[in-house]
Amino acid sequence: MNKEVPYWNPYLETLPRESLEKLQVKKFKRIVKWAYDNSKFHKALYDGAGLSPEDIRSMEDVNRVPKVEKSMMRPIQRKDPFPYGDALCVPLDEVTEFRQTSGTTGNPIYQPDTWRDWEWWSECWSTLLWAQGYRPHDRVFIPFGYNIFVAFWAGHYACEKIGCETVPGGVLDTKARILKIEELKPTAMMATPTYVLGMADTARDKMGIDPAGLGIKRITCAGEPGALVPATKKRMEESWKAKVFDHAGATEIGAWGFECEAQPGALHINEAMFLTQVEDLETGQLVTESGRRGKLVITALDRIGQPCVRFDSKDIVEFSDRQCECGRTYRLVKGGVIGRADDITKVKGVLLAPSAIEDVVRSIRGFSDEYEVVVEKKGDVDHISLKVELTEEAASNAAELKAKLQTELRLKTNLGYEIQIHPYGSLPRYEVKARRFKDLRKKEG
Amino acid sequence: MDRQIIRELSLNVDQLHKLTEDLCQKSEDFPAVNRNAKRILAATELLRLNLEES
Repeated sequence: MNKEVPYWNPYLETLPRESLEKLQVKKFKRIVKWAYDNSKFHKALYDGAGLSPEDIRSMEDVNRVPKVEKSMMRPIQRKDPFPYGDALCVPLDEVTEFRQTSGTTGNPIYQPDTWRDWEWWSECWSTLLWAQGYRPHDRVFIPFGYNIFVAFWAGHYACEKIGCETVPGGVLDTKARILKIEELKPTAMMATPTYVLGMADTARDKMGIDPAGLGIKRITCAGEPGALVPATKKRMEESWKAKVFDHAGATEIGAWGFECEAQPGALHINEAMFLTQVEDLETGQLVTESGRRGKLVITALDRIGQPCVRFDSKDIVEFSDRQCECGRTYRLVKGGVIGRADDITKVKGVLLAPSAIEDVVRSIRGFSDEYEVVVEKKGDVDHISLKVELTEEAASNAAELKAKLQTELRLKTNLGYEIQIHPYGSLPRYEVKARRFKDLRKKEG
Repeated sequence: MDRQIIRELSLNVDQLHKLTEDLCQKSEDFPAVNRNAKRILAATELLRLNLEES
């Protein structure tokens, strides 16, 4: 095999835009018809909107298909065919994979996949890993306790599909994982940004091992947006002396976006497998131009067990018109997933994305990787407190660093913060789905 | 990429798919063949998706 081929799928990844859009419409019509014919949930939804699958003829018709929100899935599940209920499109005995969402915003959603769906999941991951330079000669370590959630399972299968030697680092603690990396000398790794930084801290501070000397050349991140937050990416790349890549996906959707080796500061959308639309956060109108943020509505074009058609992902993204130097024709979203519609909130009338705070905290040398933001009401006024840690070496410069942080946060977010400095190591450490942003006003209201 | 190559590959995939479907149908009482053939069918469906034209 010619290992220098830069694309996993040289045909689809370089399709001219016009052909790509025609293929998307063809696939969209097919998945809408499949869902209508095989799922009581989708049939009722489309009938209720007066829509027949035959009404979909062009890209302009896509918007006529009703959106699906996570909250619509909860009431139909935990019923027959148990536990998936009316959105299941295949006989139960064709389901080979069970996964569920993390349940951060309510009851978890169950996700059934057929073996074909699972092949598709690992195909999407193969596309992204190949784009990030993974090749059959790589040895990939996955320091993650994979379980009932989808995280890194498909990454594992994709590594196998590519031909990489795949080392599952599941139920090991952080020190044991670092020792295993030291022993086996893997060339690549996958983890959440939080954990990539946490592992580096543990190696340096508790084991006297410099992670930069462990030989990891590339790291693929998932689960959180940090790998495209410039300061977080820089910290990870410097700590490990490795290239760090982002990817985006979700249990109900699939792995829809990936950063390529050119690292354009953006994610490619895998448009041969997914159809994406962006909606204005306030009006719900479609955003087609670049440079305007909105909410991602997405269709997995080939997933059949429990289809994902016009799913409201709540991810905030911004299209870019930039052509990536990698040569892929897939569209880019600038800065990846900027935040979640659930998290982006107005504070004192100003729209605040938690990732902006992260970028500032991690861009200042002297602060640790950990922080916590709490927004609450004090009287009638919104109040933001930001808990940070100083590294041990920076402890003597506390006042100066605190003032610098205050100034840079003001510049970046137009808001003032009560900054609380905590002892190094006292804020919570996370392996997955860090919850560093707490908006207590919702509970108070 | 050359469309002719895509079409030739697609033809091969269709033949493989059909052959595997036959294998599945003939092996209903032979799980070791049947279940492995079903896995191959899932893979041939992915091959079709990877070569699909608009």
